Amino acid sequence: MWRFAGIRTLHAIPVLIGVTFVVFGSLQLVPGDIANTLLSMFYTEERGEALRAQLGLDKPMLVQYAIWVWNLLHGDLGQSLMLRQPVAEVLLDKIGNSLILTGASLLIVIPVSFILGTTAARRFRTATDRSIVFFAMLLASLPVFWLGIVLLYLLGVNIKWFPMSGMYNMANPGGFPDLIHHLVLPAVTTAATSVAIVTRVTRGALIDTLGQPYILSARARGLSDFRVTYRHGVRNVMPTFANMCGLQIGYLFGGAIFTEIIFNWPGIGLLLYNAILQRDVPMVQGCILAIAVVFVLANLLADIIVYGLDVRRR
Amino acid sequence: MKPAAIPGPIVAPASPAVKPARARSTFYFVWRALISDRFALLGTVIVSIFVLTAIFAPWIAPYGPDDADPALRLQGIGTEGHIFGLDNHGRDVLSRLIYGTRLSLIAGLAPVLLGGIIAVPLGLIAAYYERFGHLIMRVMDVLFAFPMVLLAIMLAFFLGPGLENLVIALVVVLVPYNTRVVYVQALAERELGYVEAARAAASSDLRIMFGEMLPHVVAASVVYSMTIVGTIIVTAAGLSFLGLGVQPPTAEWGIMTSEGRTVLHIAPHASTLPGIAIFLLVIGFNLVGDALRDALDPRTRLVRVKLARGKQADPDEDPEPAS
Repeated sequence: MWRFAGIRTLHAIPVLIGVTFVVFGSLQLVPGDIANTLLSMFYTEERGEALRAQLGLDKPMLVQYAIWVWNLLHGDLGQSLMLRQPVAEVLLDKIGNSLILTGASLLIVIPVSFILGTTAARRFRTATDRSIVFFAMLLASLPVFWLGIVLLYLLGVNIKWFPMSGMYNMANPGGFPDLIHHLVLPAVTTAATSVAIVTRVTRGALIDTLGQPYILSARARGLSDFRVTYRHGVRNVMPTFANMCGLQIGYLFGGAIFTEIIFNWPGIGLLLYNAILQRDVPMVQGCILAIAVVFVLANLLADIIVYGLDVRRR
Repeated sequence: MKPAAIPGPIVAPASPAVKPARARSTFYFVWRALISDRFALLGTVIVSIFVLTAIFAPWIAPYGPDDADPALRLQGIGTEGHIFGLDNHGRDVLSRLIYGTRLSLIAGLAPVLLGGIIAVPLGLIAAYYERFGHLIMRVMDVLFAFPMVLLAIMLAFFLGPGLENLVIALVVVLVPYNTRVVYVQALAERELGYVEAARAAASSDLRIMFGEMLPHVVAASVVYSMTIVGTIIVTAAGLSFLGLGVQPPTAEWGIMTSEGRTVLHIAPHASTLPGIAIFLLVIGFNLVGDALRDALDPRTRLVRVKLARGKQADPDEDPEPAS
């Protein structure tokens, strides 16, 4: 297992290098002169020069990349143009909040999609199965930002069950219960799409498994349907299920941008949104790099865990 | 070996109306799938309604997309002359929804179409030439390292505003996924007898790839494309919601949601109605996509036809011989 983990980690390194190249290279996509585009109506010769020097645009591209990576390895992602603070510092400050939201969403995704997926597979081709499949299709079709707005309006504005924005009650911060109270709506919103995906895959995998001969033999021995499904069938689906859930960590983390905007959750997504609005290039690059790295690491972790879970491969 | 032992086509006995089994084209299965299944039919109807709305928008919409009546601004659903109310500039929400259909369809279909045109040859070539294929797939791995939405956000941000840039960003996001679908399919095809036969007949590489293999891999790409249209529409609307891609005051569903959000407390219809429109359109495409996937998957195709006719049916047989 450790051998596999080591090899898999080594494979992630070229991908991470590629990621830095894409994030760095994206700046070259800006049409025309970058400083001119960014400053637009505030452009003056002096300001343009200053910005070019700050972004390092006055040097050849490969040198720029080398400097950028060198600084990156030293934990320096440049200065935010708007906040006038180091990007890395701001990111570190916010990444925890995003991880809290991701974790809470994952805690919703895992049980809900497990129950829905296994129930649908157990009742394959019945009305229950069809309604679950239809429900998953509806969830997958939901625009996240719209779901957030609707939940906010119905449960936040109308019934006032849940607070409307932020992580803590500003006037009267209440610690952990307060945090949970603020977490519910954003977590549900973020989880919706992932629930649909994991449910669908789990159902498909379990249906395939339940069609295998060893399941038939278990049934022939007179085991209860519940026992056959959950003791014999689900065991073989667990690696797939764990893998899907692991993949969702990255998607939840990256997809939280809409949720964070709507619920004013002070995470990386909201930071990215504000950076986009203010055309704060170093901050946008920093946020995207951070999310992509978390995404790669989450997939790496998922692969290793799945390998550990799969008894047949030991 | 007795020749009689070779299983012939299974023909359902008894019923005089049954015709002998015959091979059916892909289009036949696509068509059957779209009209025989209730959900698929619903999807087809939804998509058709939206397409017609987009085409005839100027004739259907009661007002222009930018016509404003500031006196009535933020009036809710059921206002006289404005069934779906007015937004914060006093523009008719229904009219803007109708005009917005055009942009959402373009933003959903154009990237998928262009992405397919790039991905199919790329996937074929990558599968055919091993070394080149490994290189391409390593490059794709890097693009897979970004969540789809995030990559689209980054590209749209750096390319700048506008519909063209939005479409370019979505094409770049889509190509890796579609290429992988084609690549996997083409790798399997490459090992089959007909490719070997073509090679033995001294066909050129180009001819083998685009004359022989192309028809076999295109179906997989088309099915994948159809299942992804919904996601692309949501992503496109999401980008305009973030202020990327299409810009205000264009009548676009994502922009309408974003603008309506500021007045959520007093006029919830302004931000929720566009979302419902996106939701419905995406449901339509997802239903159609799922049905197509099932129709072209030989495993489920068999199951489906058998279920429709009882146990003794053969998959290649006309499911409704009487008609």
